[in-house]
Amino acid sequence: MAKTDKKSSTELEGRDPELLRRIYEVMVLTRAVEDRMVAMYRGGDLLGSLYTGHWHEAISVGATAALRADDYVAAIHRDLGAHLWRGMEPWQVMASFMGKATSPTGGRDGTLHYARLDLGFYNLPSHIPANFPVATGMAFAARYRGEDKVCLAFCGDGSTSRADFHEALSIASVQSLPNVFVIENNQYAYSTPLRLTSHSQNFSDKAKAYGIPGVTVDGTDVLAVHDAVAEAVTRARAGDGPSIVEGVTMRMHGHAEHDPADYVVKELYDEYGKKDPVELFENVLLKGGVLDDDAVKKTREDARQAAIAARRKALADPMPDPSNVEEGVYAD
Amino acid sequence: MPTETLSPPVLKQGPAQEISANPTYLEAVAAALDHEMERDPDVFIIGEDVGQFGGAFKVTKGFLDKYGPRRVVDTPIAETGFTGLAAGAALVGLRPVVEFQFADFISCAFDPIINVLARHHWRNGDPMPVTMRAPFGARLRAGPTHSQSVEAYFAHVPGLKIVMPGTPEDVPGLLISSIRDDNPTLFLENKYLYRRLRANGPLSMEPIPLGVAKVVREGRDVSLITYSAGVHQGVEIAQELDKEGISVEVVDIRTVVPLDVETIVNSVKKTSRAVVLHEDSRRLGYGAEIAATIQEEAFWHLDQPITRIAAKDTPIATSPPLEDAIIPQPAEIAETLRKVAKA
Repeated sequence: MAKTDKKSSTELEGRDPELLRRIYEVMVLTRAVEDRMVAMYRGGDLLGSLYTGHWHEAISVGATAALRADDYVAAIHRDLGAHLWRGMEPWQVMASFMGKATSPTGGRDGTLHYARLDLGFYNLPSHIPANFPVATGMAFAARYRGEDKVCLAFCGDGSTSRADFHEALSIASVQSLPNVFVIENNQYAYSTPLRLTSHSQNFSDKAKAYGIPGVTVDGTDVLAVHDAVAEAVTRARAGDGPSIVEGVTMRMHGHAEHDPADYVVKELYDEYGKKDPVELFENVLLKGGVLDDDAVKKTREDARQAAIAARRKALADPMPDPSNVEEGVYAD
Repeated sequence: MPTETLSPPVLKQGPAQEISANPTYLEAVAAALDHEMERDPDVFIIGEDVGQFGGAFKVTKGFLDKYGPRRVVDTPIAETGFTGLAAGAALVGLRPVVEFQFADFISCAFDPIINVLARHHWRNGDPMPVTMRAPFGARLRAGPTHSQSVEAYFAHVPGLKIVMPGTPEDVPGLLISSIRDDNPTLFLENKYLYRRLRANGPLSMEPIPLGVAKVVREGRDVSLITYSAGVHQGVEIAQELDKEGISVEVVDIRTVVPLDVETIVNSVKKTSRAVVLHEDSRRLGYGAEIAATIQEEAFWHLDQPITRIAAKDTPIATSPPLEDAIIPQPAEIAETLRKVAKA
């Protein structure tokens, strides 16, 4: 297991309580929507499989919360929280997993491919690591235009093995592009354990090869993630180039819901079972007096109701009209 | 920003590079790139050795001095990386022109071309204005992995356009249209023609619409449907055959995708005989698509089966006698045209 560079950040002094509450709300909503969608998968509502980000909420929300609203994001299938942070509607995500006309791609793509460019997100293909080079392009364009936007890109431990990762990091570092690369180390690339993916202790060590900063944080600690990403964003925005932030967590569900993940070492479930990032943050906020029990209860219930309402809407939405399926292969 | 430290203090004025009175095919590419970069500040060049070195074939010689490292971007050897970068930049409004040093290396970027660029508009509705230039083709004794034709790999993929000019006169108009097009476009330059073909006079920078073929030589007896190096080869042979009383019509399709079916079909309806020529290998080469299209659209006008002339289904060899045995030669083309025209 990777060693983290920073201690858990439970210190709330000097932090904006509004921001803390918002991070908490989006984390809770992310969990509620995904729990609801797991039930939908089991109930047969969804088309294919379901990719969730249980125990990734601290990374997806914590990192995205460190951005400005006009910064770019290239997120992956564990990052529902990043989309919700920017204003994606839960029903749109469900509609995507159902192939509905109202999904962001109108049912042309589906499942995890629901990212919206109007929210600053790149909608990646199933070749997950392909989003890293694209992220360098969005950062390149920002700098080309003299804007101080940055592009935050996520990948998993598995993606780091691909040429896309290395080529994107090579270009981003020599060009000093305003990128922040977040590696969500969740112990498994589908069924492949870390020991068969990398011989290094840490994925952030890869930063050394590119001559850029790299840091590993506890990926279940939302404030640790947020602070590390915020530091990297500041650096990128100032024109000082890209960084790697590795968040260490555990993929608590299968690769997707069809996958029983019986290859997972039981001790990892035991260890991370005690480290639910939503609960951990909830306790920090309760202890710090940012939230009380009633507020927690209300947030949880509001999120549950939002997920229920989202399912109702997505279920009722129409399927796409096949008569225009040949349109739009090319832009006019 | 760090790149600014690379900028020369004063950027060069005037043309990026000298263009001769009778510009070569290569100069035509350079002139069109220069024209578009002057016209549109969102156009930039990215690739290996394109900046200070001016490109492996010197297409972008002088561009760094004129446009600076912001718009002429040298990259590491990372085709997947810089093609993906171009996609991201295009997604948010820039117009990248990617240079692949050799078309053979484009396979390293197959994934971003197929799965990022080509499918993006249909999936998401956003324009993807990326132009990918690549010198391709044989006859330079460059061997199996430096001589390939790559159009057939990509012609199968919905969402890509493929442009293959055969003459220096057509290069600027087609390249300018490719750059202004909102779709990912492969612009395949025949490197054998780079310094061998010259235009008759100054080049026109008027855009040529993609998907419009050109009848480069009118004829009565047989239609030779071809593109790229096949065009000047076809015209030369047609002139020879004219002396034998065989009238060959040469059709340059100019863009492989979209294909101008109408011009091809009209020509075949006129001559009732069709020969398709390309230097890519035969099996599932683009000639198969052209032949199938003629069969579907003009079958009852044909006096003879459609004939394909293509490279052998082997890699391209290095040694001259071997390469010549693989690539279609003038004698084979002339003999095929005679046979079809007289049958």
